[in-house]
Amino acid sequence: MDVLKQNIGILRDQDPILAAQILQVPGGTLSIQPAKSGMPTALVNSRYLHSAYDPVREAERWAEDRVKDCQGGETIVLLGVGLLYHVQALRQMLPRDQVIMVIVPDLSEFADCVSVRALEGWGEGVIWLTGSMTDIAVQVTQEAKRVRVLSYEPAATIHRETYEHFRLQLREHLAQQLSGALHIMVVGPIYGGSLPIARYVVNALEGLGHRVSWVDHSPHYAGYQNLETIRDPRLRLTVQQRMSETLAVISLAHVAEDPPDLVFALSQAPLTMAVLEQMRRKKVLTAMWFVENFRHLTYWQQMVTGYDFWFVMQKAACLDAFRKAGAKQVSYLPLAADPAIHQPMAFTEEERLEFGADVSFLGAGYRNRRHILPSLVGHEWTFKLWGNEWDNPGALASVLQRGGARIDTATSVKIFNATSVNINLHSYTGDGFDPEGDGVNPRTFELACCGAFQVVDTRTLLPALFDESMMAVINSPDQLFPTVQTYLHEPARRVAMAESSRKRVLEAHTYGHRMKTFLGAVGIASPDRLGAILQGDRHAESLLARSGKTPELIPMLKQFPKTHRVELVDVAKSIRNKGPEARLSREELLILMMDEYRQETRDFL
Amino acid sequence: MSRAILIQLARLGDLVQSLPVLTALQSAYPDRPLDLLCPSPLVALGELFPCVDRVFPWNGEQWHELATTKMTDCDQQLARATRYLADSAFPSYALAYNLNNHPRGVLAAHVLGDLVVGPGEHGPLNRTLPAWAGYLRRIAQDRGSNRVHLADAFCGLCQVSPPLHVPYLKAPEVPLPFELELPVNGETSTLIGIVLGAGDSDRRVPLSVWQDLIVACADHIPQCYLLLVGGAGEREAALALEHRLPAKYLNRVVNGCGQTSLPQLVALLHRCQWVVGSDTGPLHLGAMCGARAIGWYFSRARVHETGPYGVGHYVWQHSGAQLRESPDVREINTAGSSFASWPVMETVNLMRDDPVNATADEWDLWTSHRDGWGAYYTRDGIPDEAVLHRKDTWEALAQLANQSILMEVSK
Repeated sequence: MDVLKQNIGILRDQDPILAAQILQVPGGTLSIQPAKSGMPTALVNSRYLHSAYDPVREAERWAEDRVKDCQGGETIVLLGVGLLYHVQALRQMLPRDQVIMVIVPDLSEFADCVSVRALEGWGEGVIWLTGSMTDIAVQVTQEAKRVRVLSYEPAATIHRETYEHFRLQLREHLAQQLSGALHIMVVGPIYGGSLPIARYVVNALEGLGHRVSWVDHSPHYAGYQNLETIRDPRLRLTVQQRMSETLAVISLAHVAEDPPDLVFALSQAPLTMAVLEQMRRKKVLTAMWFVENFRHLTYWQQMVTGYDFWFVMQKAACLDAFRKAGAKQVSYLPLAADPAIHQPMAFTEEERLEFGADVSFLGAGYRNRRHILPSLVGHEWTFKLWGNEWDNPGALASVLQRGGARIDTATSVKIFNATSVNINLHSYTGDGFDPEGDGVNPRTFELACCGAFQVVDTRTLLPALFDESMMAVINSPDQLFPTVQTYLHEPARRVAMAESSRKRVLEAHTYGHRMKTFLGAVGIASPDRLGAILQGDRHAESLLARSGKTPELIPMLKQFPKTHRVELVDVAKSIRNKGPEARLSREELLILMMDEYRQETRDFL
Repeated sequence: MSRAILIQLARLGDLVQSLPVLTALQSAYPDRPLDLLCPSPLVALGELFPCVDRVFPWNGEQWHELATTKMTDCDQQLARATRYLADSAFPSYALAYNLNNHPRGVLAAHVLGDLVVGPGEHGPLNRTLPAWAGYLRRIAQDRGSNRVHLADAFCGLCQVSPPLHVPYLKAPEVPLPFELELPVNGETSTLIGIVLGAGDSDRRVPLSVWQDLIVACADHIPQCYLLLVGGAGEREAALALEHRLPAKYLNRVVNGCGQTSLPQLVALLHRCQWVVGSDTGPLHLGAMCGARAIGWYFSRARVHETGPYGVGHYVWQHSGAQLRESPDVREINTAGSSFASWPVMETVNLMRDDPVNATADEWDLWTSHRDGWGAYYTRDGIPDEAVLHRKDTWEALAQLANQSILMEVSK
């Protein structure tokens, strides 16, 4: 019987519609030729998807590496089709009851494959998922309790965008289902723009029900600033570096005292590679949200292998750069706003006088802003310039407020709200707009969340976040003046757009949304650790349901509320509460013994 | 007869100081097989103890790994802990003697034994201490005039009298590293063990003092060799010490630091006539191997509790440590590096059997003896009032002992 016919028979038993579709598609996506071993191999655009020598052995090696991580109860979702050698190898190495789903983005490729590769003996144990990536993500989320995504890169790479879309969809859907609480340690910077973001992140994670320990390094700012009194720049830099190293060790001490499930650092957090390595040795997962332009601030290159997960606010080029530099997991995570902070507000007359203006800009004195903003001075409207690093302001001197002092978050909210037209120019070290401008700054979200109208310079990633009914987007510096002039005279339109932008933030762009997405991503990437906890696997009821091997735990677990996350420390505490006269079972003694060793932190530092 | 196990999860020095109680227990209950539970790295030493039937390792690192791995839920952790115990294949024990007043020791005793003697004997969560454990705690807080040696107090904890004879370890037949074999087995000579290291940094003797001692020994004791004793952690210090020494003394020094297993160390210490060091495990091990020990005791070390066990040992006690008898005196800096003088020549004179002034600057000389209540130290060979008071202490604490446990133990 020919291979295709036999395969169609197998597929028909599993999915008659798929089997019918395969017969309809023309094929021809894969260029198939024999490998040295005699088995068929495949190419796309002259690139091999499998070994030209021995595709079977290559696939076995690939699968051997992955099988080590796969845990019982996980559903394996495989990306990459090709000639399915990798799927066959994995199927043969995993237990029969472990579900494997293969995402098939292109039926033509699949048809090529099933024309030459027999599915008999292993293909029956694979679920083939076809259709839109959104639908597939929903299906996976509904059918799988714990998902581990594996990617066979040589074949997956020809559908990179499709698979990326699937990952994003899966992440979002899983994020909606999270019920378990993590202990997350947020490590913030000493100072700078990511410091308030660290606060928003803490609030958002707590709001989602997670236990958050915030390692706040901002109290050390005064000491750090005092180092500026060291005149020799090299000496000063050395001392600053030493201080950062000490703060890293302080962070590690916090981790040692109360080990979290995940350390989440914001950019500029003083964590060194040595400290990150020690965390890895102690099996603490680490993530970094790099809320900077990766082209301008490049220290990530030295730290890229230190974190288990990177989240960045830029896409394509940025993701590629991080991956090439060695990042294990890197995902796009745009910035957001905190509706508890960034909100519409009423003013006293005094406040309106101080903060109110027809036109305002709030931000640091980057070169492009110095070049563009003077065009707004000297017109019929009032223009106020707020922010620091505006020394030698030139034509802007007359509009600079508070002598160029740093503006805190609460004041910035007042300025946004009291301004008719807020100017939002992304920072750039050139004269005009950043020609590579992609990532969207926090101010965009904060203005929108305040219900404040803004004129913003164009960014390639902006349309996916807001549309032009929500803010005025300008494509070049010379559009700034006429745009301001237009909108100043259309207050009703401004209000409508600003309200629309606020609605959009509340729907999709709060730090709460971001943290759900973030946790969905780390949950997918770490299904047996963070993923399991996030999906409630450590809830008392879940532990009770699978306590077959340790029935002695049942009475201990029954003491906890069903949706209470139960860890060793909690069980130990409940045992100790039995009081001094208690007689303990052997299992209770073992729990207490492990709890004693859990508290041991001496080898952390 | 049912089996018993003695639990000692502390460091080398405490394990060595447990040899008397193991000996006493075996003498008191000769038909009851007695096993030992000790930290994994010390198992090879425990296996040299003549009175122990089987030695079981306690792998603290593995317990830590079990307890801290982030990958497992508590049910999996419990399953793994149960498997760990099953893999260790402990027999069942009617009795577990626990010497550690620490939750791990208490819990291990309850996991392994039907009846616990020592800390934890009132229950795994009951903090009431048995009489002897309470006594030891009081001594740790306020030493007062205590003269009961720790090794004998271990006997009290286990409700037996101190052993009739001082126990010694036999020399194991193990090959020695080549570079150590020749010097210690060569021509007739005096071999002196110099214990470089100490578990706590405040008990370390400065290298300059060791240098002075080595030079003095080489100059004044004919045909003597100095064996540097220590673990891998002392290797650098030993090399630094060798670099400090004038070349003419180098052929008198044998560097054994970090080069021996515990059985090899025992074999080497058996060949030493003397062993000198602060209050450390190898010093006590030397004494248990038959060498005469000379201790330099300072910081928190006090001769009456932890002086080398047996007869004929010496301890130079620094007066700073004596001052710390009261809990109110806590701020005295007694780290060795701050001392103005060390009893170097006095120590050499002891080894030469020359007359020695019992008080040298800040140091007082104590000599060890032994009677039915265990080991004790005197300054002039005559037991003082405090020494004689040990009998009252033993009798008073015996009255307070848990009688029901005593009856069970005697069965």
